[in-house]
Amino acid sequence: MEAVKKVAITLEEFNVISDIFSQAITAELIGMSNFASLAETIDDPHEKMEAVEHANSERMHAEGFMAYAKKAKLKINVNMDSEYWGNVRNQFLSYAHKKDFIACLIIQEVMLESFAVSMYTDVGNALGGEAGELFLNIADEEKEHLEHSSDLLRAELKKDPTAFINKFEELHFNCMTILAEFTATTDLRGHCGVCNGDCMKGSLHHIALDIVNMRGNAMALYARALDNIGIPGEKSVVWIARLPA
Amino acid sequence: MDSTSPCLDFAAIGHQDSWQNITAFVNGMRTPDHERLSSRKIKDIFSFIPPRDLFRVKVKSITGAEINGVYIETFIDPDKLEAQFARANINKVTNAAAHAIKMNTRIATLGGFTSIVLEGNLNSFAPGKTKFTTGNTLTAAYIVKGIEGAAIQLKINLLESDVLIIGATGDIGMACVHYLKNKVKKLLLCARNNQQLEKLAKELAKQNKQVEYSICLPDLISAADVIICVASSTGIKLADCKKNVLICDAGYPKNMDTKIEKNVDCKIFHGGMGQVLGGFNFNPDYSNYIYHYPAPYVIHGCILEAMILAFENKIENYSVGKGNITIDKMEEIYKSGLKHGITIAPFFSAKGLW
Repeated sequence: MEAVKKVAITLEEFNVISDIFSQAITAELIGMSNFASLAETIDDPHEKMEAVEHANSERMHAEGFMAYAKKAKLKINVNMDSEYWGNVRNQFLSYAHKKDFIACLIIQEVMLESFAVSMYTDVGNALGGEAGELFLNIADEEKEHLEHSSDLLRAELKKDPTAFINKFEELHFNCMTILAEFTATTDLRGHCGVCNGDCMKGSLHHIALDIVNMRGNAMALYARALDNIGIPGEKSVVWIARLPA
Repeated sequence: MDSTSPCLDFAAIGHQDSWQNITAFVNGMRTPDHERLSSRKIKDIFSFIPPRDLFRVKVKSITGAEINGVYIETFIDPDKLEAQFARANINKVTNAAAHAIKMNTRIATLGGFTSIVLEGNLNSFAPGKTKFTTGNTLTAAYIVKGIEGAAIQLKINLLESDVLIIGATGDIGMACVHYLKNKVKKLLLCARNNQQLEKLAKELAKQNKQVEYSICLPDLISAADVIICVASSTGIKLADCKKNVLICDAGYPKNMDTKIEKNVDCKIFHGGMGQVLGGFNFNPDYSNYIYHYPAPYVIHGCILEAMILAFENKIENYSVGKGNITIDKMEEIYKSGLKHGITIAPFFSAKGLW
């Protein structure tokens, strides 16, 4: 990491950067696993291959983060069964087992990608240097996933608006509740199981970030993703208002 | 929602005027199963939310006609209305306007603080079929006609009165000045921009009107028999007023009641407000959380302007720019409203109905 190499960073900065990379690597591995599971739900061979390709893309993101972490000698802790990531994964699997392709797409490509794109962008801008560039490049690639899914989901909404909105609402409360708890100012379910020491949210100021802005930006991107799909604003605002904080 | 969606007659673009209201509103959206959120927690997320439609509005005319509209919330932070936040707020208003266009609304009005965008540049909005209005013409009409009505009720002769207008160089303030200049003894003009104030005062002096002006409120306030406040009340304090002074609080938010010194003997009403005699309803119905008026079907004049234009099928950029409001247009929109049972709200203040 150029930023790490050029500027002597403090222990606090090292710890928070290590935790950010730990979260990002875990998130990418969850994404990889989700896309691999998604591939199982798809019958169309071309779409199946596309899902595998997406899984590979997430694997490459994880590898990119891991390579940088190794170079910068960061302290990495990967835990896919951790409190929040494990729950997100279980939610995804419950729909994958039902071969519910649309539900899987909504969880992975709308909910998780909205948070990934927004938070990677914030982290990338804050870190700068090689590490910052890595986050920003991966955010751009994740953005493509988000846009790709919107086209499919818009078409799905048109087929049966009531059923689609009801399904989306169920997924929102099952999955976004976990992300909302995860990103709340204080961990609402206790330690996340990924950060090395105390929750990193209290240390983000060491790299000029804060969880309120990161969470707000992520929720804003999620809200815009819902708008883009065609979920009525009067619905999405209530869904967001009912999340834990 | 896209251009193929059914057409909505109007959109009201607005913002909440206090965190107290927002907290009640957000908690109103939560079910009893959800923990009540504190203002602090709501502040952490509220102003990040992109503009969106919150509820539909159905309005009835006394002619039997009905129109359908939508309220679009900008999610502007009520504590961040000052100039330093202008860029972020203008972005929010522009995005709300784009949402009104996307929702295929025929005419959209920019309520409260959001009107500053349309007072500046209509071209800042994305192209579309939707027409825009600030609603300032009807707001101004309701203010001055409210003053005339209250003066009759309180036996104040306006021709013998000195009328102070705080915020005189704004769009609504100027409209009030021009409407009242031939109906009062003297105009006392107060605003923050001395250059604009001087220009307006000179123009009035050329027309042989009695006028005094100052950027400093205490210079003028003790002479005023009637006070119209159309400015944001931040930093305003009403002290050393004449006994029985009539005050019209037409700013946003309407909190002049809290700016009046205890020893001031006055009669205050919230100006620029109207009432829909045919009634309206919200869906979903958030009226328990956002409706705080002591009489039914009371609503801001700026929103009513769009409703009246929709009823009249007069779909045009009605109130745009600054300083373009004429007395004829004030009379026109006011009279059009009466045809549909839309009129000045009964006089009320924070203490209730007069």
